[in-house]
Amino acid sequence: MRALVIDDSRAMRRIVSSILIGLGYEVRDAGHGGEALDVLNEGWVPDLATIDWNMPVMDGLQFVSAVRSNPAWRSMTMMMVTSESEHTQIVRALAAGAHEYVIKPFTADAIRDKLALLGLLPQEVVL
Amino acid sequence: MTLTATSFDWVRQVVHRESAIVLQPGKEYLVEARLLPIARQMGLADVGQLVDSVRTRPSPENTRRIVEALTTNETSWFRDGDPFTALTTTVLPALQAARGPAERLQIWSAACSSGQEAYTIAMLLEDAMPNAGSRVSITATDLSREMVERTRAGRFSQLEVNRGLPAPMLVRHFSRASSEWEVNANLRRMVTATECNLAAPLPRMGPFDVVYLRNVLIYFDLSTKQAILRRVRSLMRPDGWLFLGAAETTLGVDDSWERVVLGRSSAYRPLKGA
Amino acid sequence: MTVFETAERRRVGDARPVITELIDGTTVQSIAEEAWISLVGEEEVLVPLPAELPADVLSSWVDVVGPWTGSVVLTAGRQTAEELTRALLRESAPEVLEEEDVVDAFGEIANVVGGSVKAALPGQSALSLPSVGTSPEVRNTADVCRIDLTWRGEPVSISVQGALPALPVPHDPHP
Repeated sequence: MRALVIDDSRAMRRIVSSILIGLGYEVRDAGHGGEALDVLNEGWVPDLATIDWNMPVMDGLQFVSAVRSNPAWRSMTMMMVTSESEHTQIVRALAAGAHEYVIKPFTADAIRDKLALLGLLPQEVVL
Repeated sequence: MTLTATSFDWVRQVVHRESAIVLQPGKEYLVEARLLPIARQMGLADVGQLVDSVRTRPSPENTRRIVEALTTNETSWFRDGDPFTALTTTVLPALQAARGPAERLQIWSAACSSGQEAYTIAMLLEDAMPNAGSRVSITATDLSREMVERTRAGRFSQLEVNRGLPAPMLVRHFSRASSEWEVNANLRRMVTATECNLAAPLPRMGPFDVVYLRNVLIYFDLSTKQAILRRVRSLMRPDGWLFLGAAETTLGVDDSWERVVLGRSSAYRPLKGA
Repeated sequence: MTVFETAERRRVGDARPVITELIDGTTVQSIAEEAWISLVGEEEVLVPLPAELPADVLSSWVDVVGPWTGSVVLTAGRQTAEELTRALLRESAPEVLEEEDVVDAFGEIANVVGGSVKAALPGQSALSLPSVGTSPEVRNTADVCRIDLTWRGEPVSISVQGALPALPVPHDPHP
């Protein structure tokens, strides 16, 4: 399975990527929504995108809306991974089309649990 | 540093025996940090005293707390999701067919820890049936007063709500309370939390339609397992359902149960006439 | 006079709260502990033990704009900031850290702590992208919630501080 990790922080991209690689994902990353759309337009459409909210150029919510407007990308599961943690923000992201929401700070187990809920654990991992 | 090499070795052995997890040498500080709160709760000065206490007076409940403190960071919502799937797909329809419309469904979350299991059940039933608030009562019990109070409060940290709780359920059933999240009042009203020692005679409760007794029996010896299962059965309706942990079974322990496969999990039901 | 100052100010029509009315040090500390577990490592402990910051410090912060407006500022010695960066980058940390690495990682910790602080405040607020450098100055000493901690024996401070100057004390109508 493939995952696209979108975050403006290189350290955070590393943390999320290494969790996903550990679970058996092939991972690419992007520093903001615009870079992520470039990857999709190249034809590299992942099973999963993890998406930060606050980023320069194109933020996570704009990215989610852009993905939603293209039927070719419908199979992609979108999981927000962000420090935005108010109730209303989560509702907004889900309404825009995000499937799941992980609030920073999170642990590796939290990512694994959410992927299990989404049926996106590439290999059988004992919970 | 209060932890002697002997005490650390004892903790390593217990954790390895109970959970198959290996604590490497050099993790003394982790043992200290995780076990100190338990020692303090028991009125002991330090982790060394805690180890001495449990070594001289073995206690499955305290052993379990030590192992859990070292092996799990937070309890997951929907932990091993299958027993919860079975609740809404099989158990609830069966109970609704068998019970009158005014009869209350009683569910027991035994060894409830900080309450994730009890509230997971409450959320599922609230979403699955109208008037769940007036039809369902969930009893959550734990040996630890602190855990009972946490369950009663229904407040969870950011790290805790991140663990296996689907975001749509978080926004539907929780509200922000400062830096934490609080289960909504309608679900808190469905859950009654009380202290209860499973290894001793049980208080008058139930009769229960469904019991979740997961990852508890593994810590007890055979005769205590048998006594607990017998006492649990006496608090259940004859057509009730018992869910155990994935690694637990009544087979070879107590033959008065029938194992029923429900999708990817299984439940145990009291055998008639047993 | 001093005793009545707060009540007097409110009566004068001020709806601007100070941070100590909205969040306490214990909450900020539990927020920081969770951020540390998540970012720095699951076995990393922040100890509530104040220690003096060295002369050469670095700060990272995010601004919160809403009913309360200010910054959530993380400050540590430069070496501690670098050590935190290595902890975040783990095996992908380069031999020699670039300034850019420290700015990124140290800023991300402020972002995560700031996001949780924002969520704990009442009402809707917006969060800025993180900045790294010399801490913004404290504009109103009454509008600060600061905690001092140690990590791996080194001091780390977190200051939730208002961005606006203190309101003028209303003149006493009966001098």
